[in-house]
Amino acid sequence: MTDSTSDSAIRAEGLAKTFHDPQRGVVEAVKGVDLDCRKGEIFGLLGPNGAGKTTTLRMLSTILAPTSGRALIDGIDVAEDPLEVRRRLGFLSGSTGLYPRLTGRETLRYFGRLHGLEGEDLEAAIARAFDAFDLHSFGDGRCEALSTGQKQRVSIARAVLHDPPVLILDEPTTGLDIMASSDMIQFIDSRREAGTCVLFSTHILSEAERLCDRIGIVYDGRMLAGGSLDELRAITGKEWLEEIFRELVQRADTGEGAA
Amino acid sequence: MARKELGESFRDRQTLLYTFVLPLCMYPAMFWVMVQGVLVVQGQKQARDVTVGVVAAAETAEAARAQLAVDEEGKGRIEIVALPPDTSQQAEVIADMIEAEEADALLFLPEGRSDAAPAALFFDSTSSQSETARGRVIAALERWTEELRHEAADARDIDPEALEPILVQTRKINPRKDEGALMLSLLLPMLLVVMCVLGAFFPAVDLTAGEKERQTAETTLLLPIPRLGMHLGKIFAVCATSMIATTLNLLALGLSAGHLLGQLAGLGDGAPKVELPIGALISIAPLAALFAFFVSAVLTGVASLAASFKEGQALLGPVQMLFMLPAMATNLPGMELTATTALIPVVNVSLAFRGLLVGSASAGPLVTCVLSLTATAVLAIWFSVRLLSSEEVSLSSETIPLARLFRILRSR
Repeated sequence: MTDSTSDSAIRAEGLAKTFHDPQRGVVEAVKGVDLDCRKGEIFGLLGPNGAGKTTTLRMLSTILAPTSGRALIDGIDVAEDPLEVRRRLGFLSGSTGLYPRLTGRETLRYFGRLHGLEGEDLEAAIARAFDAFDLHSFGDGRCEALSTGQKQRVSIARAVLHDPPVLILDEPTTGLDIMASSDMIQFIDSRREAGTCVLFSTHILSEAERLCDRIGIVYDGRMLAGGSLDELRAITGKEWLEEIFRELVQRADTGEGAA
Repeated sequence: MARKELGESFRDRQTLLYTFVLPLCMYPAMFWVMVQGVLVVQGQKQARDVTVGVVAAAETAEAARAQLAVDEEGKGRIEIVALPPDTSQQAEVIADMIEAEEADALLFLPEGRSDAAPAALFFDSTSSQSETARGRVIAALERWTEELRHEAADARDIDPEALEPILVQTRKINPRKDEGALMLSLLLPMLLVVMCVLGAFFPAVDLTAGEKERQTAETTLLLPIPRLGMHLGKIFAVCATSMIATTLNLLALGLSAGHLLGQLAGLGDGAPKVELPIGALISIAPLAALFAFFVSAVLTGVASLAASFKEGQALLGPVQMLFMLPAMATNLPGMELTATTALIPVVNVSLAFRGLLVGSASAGPLVTCVLSLTATAVLAIWFSVRLLSSEEVSLSSETIPLARLFRILRSR
């Protein structure tokens, strides 16, 4: 099923994922997450480790198949047409996931080609990426030899080479030093103007506070609340994001409903 | 996808070393060591001094000393010890004498002509020194016998050959090349299987478990290509590496074996002439390619269960034996490609390789073998793709025990 007419770039309804773990038995990692991110919006998924953020992002990016529920990326159902979803998606994680034995240029060429870029168009896109992310001094070296910051820049260039309408970032600043982290935050901010929908997960409150148009608080596989900072303040009666987060988690633990 | 995976494999030092460099160096080194070893052992044997006890009447013993203790260039001396004529011929007594190093072998020479009583040579076949003594004495006695025959013939003024009622000369009708072909037909099928498996081993681990270790599995799953194509691309890359490695190995084997075994030709009757049967090898290429696909699919599937390169190697260790042992078993006497053996995986390929190499393969079992191999290759690809497609396998941070294999294969 496709729905390309709405303003929604990412939409999830009752998205759930159950694993079978040999030690723990059946594990409900995500228990019915609803989500709606609009085009040109930066949406942050905020939650502690193990809350289900990564699993949610993996389902949205077709790495994992949802156990139940539905998700649309740029109007395309992730279960029905995962290939088309992957074409419209840029994905980035803190570990970068770069192939260590390829050079930066080879990485971009490989991904560009798989995304349908050929010949001059491909080389032009690579040249633009080299300029935009200043890859010239290290882009022809093998990725295994690059510093963390350099890897992250190649990784960003790879994620946006095909100009995807949706970017999903899984804890993109984890493990980065201050400079690389700052570059990443600037990059995320810049995508707003490009009209890209950015969904990213983090457990760093200041990042979410600074970047996000809307924030979803995820805890124990559930979306406790979602909205702009002002909307979250109104829901909880708290001023700071840290207080908001604590309040919502406390309500969830004591069984009080969240908005 | 396959091209990129292949390119990446070729940039992995471990894959390069173990899949290409080591086998290429191994065969020349192995044959060089073998040939040099043979040459050294032969040389040492020839140069060794031996002591031979001669039991005979005084006159005969002296004649034996004159004939046996001849100095030959490059050979050790035969020292003759004259023993009393009443020396016992009991094996225990002689064994004690050899053990006490009184002599390395004992030669009992009768008086007069040999038809009165045969000469007897006692030696210990478990002792290298005694064996050497036996060889040297036999050779010397043959020379002496020949000399006596000529003397007798001269005395009667007849042809020496007339004194040998039945003169036997054995001559090989086959060229040395055919002996080499026979040796290759026993060795090559097994080696082809082993080369194929070893060629696929490291890339299979590298592209599956190695990918998890490098944290690039997620990146690969996000590629905008169908998952089936993704997994087949990996199997293709492993298969291509295996085939390239097998080809290089065969070349190294052919060149080194041919050259170095040639050095042995000067010893004894000459070593077999080893030449790779290029025509036969070309005829088995399609079967070898199908087999490489089968092996690659199995190894890729099993290696995907591991979470790290090291664990992948540990998992594939026993699996590679499942290929190698049946291949070795095909060297058992009487094993041939029949309608039954053509159905047994690995055994069928190894026997078919041999049949094609010596030109004895018949069409029926060969067709059965191809069909059986195709079926097992398809099954192996299904097995591999099934595992690679499993979320539990592809993203697991822990090695999945084989006990969970069937549950994964059964799951949707």
